[in-house]
Amino acid sequence: MYKPITILLLMILSMSASAQMKFCTDELDSYPVLAGGREKPLYVLASESVRFMTGENRVGDLSATEAFCKLSLKAFGMPTEIPVSIKVDHVDVRKLLGMKDGETSREVALLMPMVSRIESALSTQKENNSYKKELTKVRSRLSTYQAITEARAWVTPVKKDNKIEFVTLGEFLTEERLMAARSSGGNPVETLFKQAKADYLQAKGDGYLLELKYYQWNPFMWAMLATLLAIILFVVMKNKLPGTIFTVLSIGIQIAAMAMRVMISGRAPVTNMYETVMFSGFGALIISCIITLYRKEIAFVIAGLSFNVLALMMMKFANGMLDPGISPLVPVLRDNFWLSTHVTTVILSYAALALSWMLANSLLIRSRFQTVSSTDYRYQVGLIYTCIKFGVVLLATGVILGGVWADYSWGRFWGWDPKETWSLIVLLVYMAILHGKFTSWIPPQRFVPLVAAAFMSVMMAWFGVNYILASGLHSYGFSEGGAIFLGSFFLIQVLVLAVTTIKRTA
Amino acid sequence: MSLMNSILNYYRKVELFFGSLKFAVIIITLFALSLAYGTFMESYHGTEYANRLIYKSLPFMGLQFGMFLSILFATLIRLPPKKHLYGFYMIHAGLITVFLGSYVTYQSGVDGTITLTPNLPARQIQLGDDELRIQFPAKGKEVTVNLPFVPGPKDLGYSYQNIKLKTFLPFAEDKTDWVPVKIEDPMQTSSIYKLFNENFGETLTLTLHPLSDFNNTQQLGPLNVHYMPGSLVDCFATPSPDGLLVWNGENSTCMSPTEKNLKKTIRPDGKKLVEIDFDGRKLAFLPDVSPLPVNEKLELTESTPYRIFSKKLFEGKPHLFLFGKSAAFFDKSKNAWTAHKFEVGGSVPLPWMGFKVELKEHKNDAYPTMRPHYVKPVQENGQTIVGDMKAVEVEVEGQSFWVKSNDPVAFNIGGQRITFDLTKKNITLPYELVLDRFKMDNDPGTNNPASFESFVTLFKGNQGTSKHHIFMNNPLKHQSFTFYQASYFQTQEGPLGSVLSVNFDPGRFWKYLGSLLLVLGSIWHFVLRSKNQTKQEKAHV
Repeated sequence: MYKPITILLLMILSMSASAQMKFCTDELDSYPVLAGGREKPLYVLASESVRFMTGENRVGDLSATEAFCKLSLKAFGMPTEIPVSIKVDHVDVRKLLGMKDGETSREVALLMPMVSRIESALSTQKENNSYKKELTKVRSRLSTYQAITEARAWVTPVKKDNKIEFVTLGEFLTEERLMAARSSGGNPVETLFKQAKADYLQAKGDGYLLELKYYQWNPFMWAMLATLLAIILFVVMKNKLPGTIFTVLSIGIQIAAMAMRVMISGRAPVTNMYETVMFSGFGALIISCIITLYRKEIAFVIAGLSFNVLALMMMKFANGMLDPGISPLVPVLRDNFWLSTHVTTVILSYAALALSWMLANSLLIRSRFQTVSSTDYRYQVGLIYTCIKFGVVLLATGVILGGVWADYSWGRFWGWDPKETWSLIVLLVYMAILHGKFTSWIPPQRFVPLVAAAFMSVMMAWFGVNYILASGLHSYGFSEGGAIFLGSFFLIQVLVLAVTTIKRTA
Repeated sequence: MSLMNSILNYYRKVELFFGSLKFAVIIITLFALSLAYGTFMESYHGTEYANRLIYKSLPFMGLQFGMFLSILFATLIRLPPKKHLYGFYMIHAGLITVFLGSYVTYQSGVDGTITLTPNLPARQIQLGDDELRIQFPAKGKEVTVNLPFVPGPKDLGYSYQNIKLKTFLPFAEDKTDWVPVKIEDPMQTSSIYKLFNENFGETLTLTLHPLSDFNNTQQLGPLNVHYMPGSLVDCFATPSPDGLLVWNGENSTCMSPTEKNLKKTIRPDGKKLVEIDFDGRKLAFLPDVSPLPVNEKLELTESTPYRIFSKKLFEGKPHLFLFGKSAAFFDKSKNAWTAHKFEVGGSVPLPWMGFKVELKEHKNDAYPTMRPHYVKPVQENGQTIVGDMKAVEVEVEGQSFWVKSNDPVAFNIGGQRITFDLTKKNITLPYELVLDRFKMDNDPGTNNPASFESFVTLFKGNQGTSKHHIFMNNPLKHQSFTFYQASYFQTQEGPLGSVLSVNFDPGRFWKYLGSLLLVLGSIWHFVLRSKNQTKQEKAHV
């Protein structure tokens, strides 16, 4: 705690009770801070911290910024009682911490005395299993809380020798500064923060506020609504114009949103799992539109829109698995040329294969519950085959570009890294199907379920390597919580295959 | 002629078999399954294990050869060239070229690392293969044995003069082995205990045997554990008014000074002086200072088997005395020494943080020693956390011992000194690199590395020197070798050292050419040809 009595007294003397209450408001959203190696608005830091600790976007009635601010002022002795509950996901960790059945989070005051128990449990875990990962995460959530309440998390700009430097809030709100600000009249705390922000804006401009707009506008949610509407309009209306308008609108919003991310991060938007899902959804829609222009077949656009809306829904609702935050990259990935060629090509290939998967499943389900003529069936198979051809060409190109990047960066074309190996497996799986299609082994009736099943290899390469295998040089996308998602996906796909193929056999 | 025909017929059968689509489907599927298995092995057991088990194993190379045959014959059976298959030919030619390029890399390429310590010249490239070096310093001779790239234990069956190399363990951990003793001695017992509480558990192997790799004391945080002969437990259990304990090391008996009416005096400085008779002479002890006797000048001496302990020395901090099947300690809550007996499998509660001690094993007829045992490795975050040791069993003149990786062993045979060193293969560069400085930048306000940079000087002999800056995605290329920034380490002196990966790839051109053909061929075959087909189909309609 930073000389609490002196500073608290200064604060109390300087600020009326209502002013104290009003200091921690959403006006601080646009205050510049340094966090995680980047300069960003306080809103982003506060939202990320609160979501990480509690899994929620707010703390009770308080917005993330208000809660973050009030918790930070605890370091100076401000009597703020905010009931922060730390999220605990793992059942065994809940048991270790004495939580009751059904209790998913626990007040921080009750968890803090258990840090030594967490440390002891961690020291006995040799394998890096989900239990150990969750223990580490809970400890990390508690550390985040400590960092906030000890005024270490809020790193604020300060002008020194005509240059902007960053110091922690504890170092910023010193007795000297408060006294100096007080002498200039007005509320010294507010004066200090306003001056710091003004100095920052003068030196560095307001470019960082783009991130605030990006999060507040929530463009991907609007894109999701536009895509959903487009699907409905294409299905319901004979006139394709309204659907087309909403498709174009969705594409426009997504391009704008990705452009904002590119401007904020300064790199291609394909560097973590959230961004690959985003880009694959967008890519599937674009590829489907391109194919439609050639094949004049609206089914492609509907498949593209369907995958697009799936991806946007994952981005919106699967925050435990997909982290929307923008973080600096590990050194080896800081190469925009290769990011925007190798990674985008691979993700686009996944998008094209996703289209084939959507069409294959749709055909399987349709032929299970409706009568599909053999001409229509063959026609649909042709559509699926078109998507696979695009996917295979893009994937082969992406894998080779990855090899060239690896050769350029690490000195070897191929190193059997799990991510690159699984990309090759995907290519081999689809090659086996394409080769088999010309034998008696894979007639159209087997081709369709095989294509639906083959997408599981894509999901393994895309998510499984990160969530299940979790090792290798492509560790940038690693995060927790995806194993259940992947398991559920495999289970549902197997069930669909079982239901649809049993009928055929019968 | 008929022979020629039958050879041609046979060849056509081979060609049709290997070039068939069904063979392609089978070999592609097998290849994909092997790869999938390999990724799981890598995830659990690490990259090196996966390489040894799958990616660089003979069966996997056989699969790759099968792929090669499939691609080659699939092309051959579709000759002479047909216009609609130009894309197909290009794809398959590309794949064959990639295979050939990879083979050239496998046969002639170099993939290693060079470790640069600041301001020290370096020219040794460390490769991935293991070797055992047997050195005869007196003769200035060295014999190098290449160790096999296998995932499990392998009998080497190699002998040189009177040296036999028996087993190679590519992944090993030291584990406890019991070595039988010829004569049982109660003074040389050994025991394994488990010390545990709700959150912590630690196995203790303690012994009194002089040949064991283990000791008779161990420290666990603030707790000191002492292992002693079983006959001494009574001295700890029996209350002694003066808190002293006399121990005869010759016959492992003990007694209280009060019990034997030994002469005790208090010196002017307040310390106790105890005297006992030994071989007709008087021995003086200052038990509050040391268990050893002192001479007239109050200097410590070790000339007698007698020791006197002051139990008070072990009452302040936690000390646990273990006597095989008994345990004794000072219980502060009772302000008394307590002793407990327990059998194998039994446990005794201790007065510290809910700890208990459990007797797991106790032996008079064997002593514990550490010996490398094969284990399947376990990896975490790219680091091998279990099995990070290699070992070779060597037999010299009927005596076996283990040589462990990076732990050279010296052996004397008939007055001749021989050293065994299990290490990585090295190659020496014809020039030197010196790390002038290593720079690591972090992302602002964090400890996350943002960049690794090595500033090096290249000494090229007669061609002078040159300065280079190596960082991620910016390697140094010199005389066919390419040096890439790979890692860093902290030197004992403080500054950071750098690790560069070093690569020489004579197959690079062919792999690039093959890749280009593959991509162009795929576009031709799948996209352009399909477009033409679609047009034709439409025209037909």
